[in-house]
Amino acid sequence: MESKTALIVDDSSLARMMVRKIFATSFKDWTLKEAKDGQDALNVVDGASLDLALVDFNMPGMNGIELAEKLMEKQPGLSIHLVTANIQERMRMRAEGMGVGFIKKPINPQKISEIMSVLNG
Amino acid sequence: MFMLTELEEDALKEFFNMGLGMAADSLSQMVDNEVLLSLPQLKVASFQEAARMLVENQNEKLVAVRQNFKGELGGTALLIFPGAESLELVRTLLSEDMPLEVLTELEQETLLDVGNVILNAFLESFTQMMSVSFEFESAEFLKGNSNFLLDITSHMAAQERSLMKGSVAEHERAVVLMMDFKTSDEEQKEHTLSGFVVLLFSREALVILKRELDTILSML
Repeated sequence: MESKTALIVDDSSLARMMVRKIFATSFKDWTLKEAKDGQDALNVVDGASLDLALVDFNMPGMNGIELAEKLMEKQPGLSIHLVTANIQERMRMRAEGMGVGFIKKPINPQKISEIMSVLNG
Repeated sequence: MFMLTELEEDALKEFFNMGLGMAADSLSQMVDNEVLLSLPQLKVASFQEAARMLVENQNEKLVAVRQNFKGELGGTALLIFPGAESLELVRTLLSEDMPLEVLTELEQETLLDVGNVILNAFLESFTQMMSVSFEFESAEFLKGNSNFLLDITSHMAAQERSLMKGSVAEHERAVVLMMDFKTSDEEQKEHTLSGFVVLLFSREALVILKRELDTILSML
């Protein structure tokens, strides 16, 4: 089976480490790409095809919603989820209005499993 | 001098960010508006340096709700508004057409309630990933400039140490975490609110904090 690729974009090393550990433990067949902000993410992706993007909202430079828009332009239909501590209803509505999933930090294996079951379903 | 590694600082900022996310959600529901958050700033500073940092950000008269916490992790959390902003918050929460005298009378009580909800949401989320226990003291309402708000003699953690050891705590270092917030002005241009949250830890608390951070990081 061909390996799937996920992108995690977060300016916090801790947040990226948490996602890395979850993938290394529970989703070993996935390749994980990491970026520390929006611009870095666009460089890291560089035309590669993704299966999943997990994006923080509050980052230096472009925010997670702006990055999600750019990722959608590059790859329409990509499964993008905002992973954020900013859990205000308006933020959730903005994300969901764009077809972007919304996950409250801290991330945990169960939250990623739920995304995976939708992706695989 | 007490030092945090780059990774420990990063983790601390991320916990602060999560705490502020919860606090902003509480505030957002109260004012029925979106609360925009800045990126967290972190500095290991003395209390005096902390006071100066605050001055750089705001030198006008400030209003604050201070929540001391003690237990395994001791410190102080402050929710700070420039003076005029706090009345604006009270106006937003209570009634648009309330006379200024009435607003001023209700300012303290209202802000204590608001501060309590926001700082509790913040601190509970901040410590969610740690195994430390702590308890809150009653929230206090304060009015004054930044030096007064962070005054070493009124800071619980510094005061306790000073009393216990008989030392002057002026050179104590603290972790100062600071984050600005403001309400979105898309809907109510005339009623934007802004303020900031500051978190201070004593040096004793820093040792525990560092231990907790190391434990969490070692599991990743």
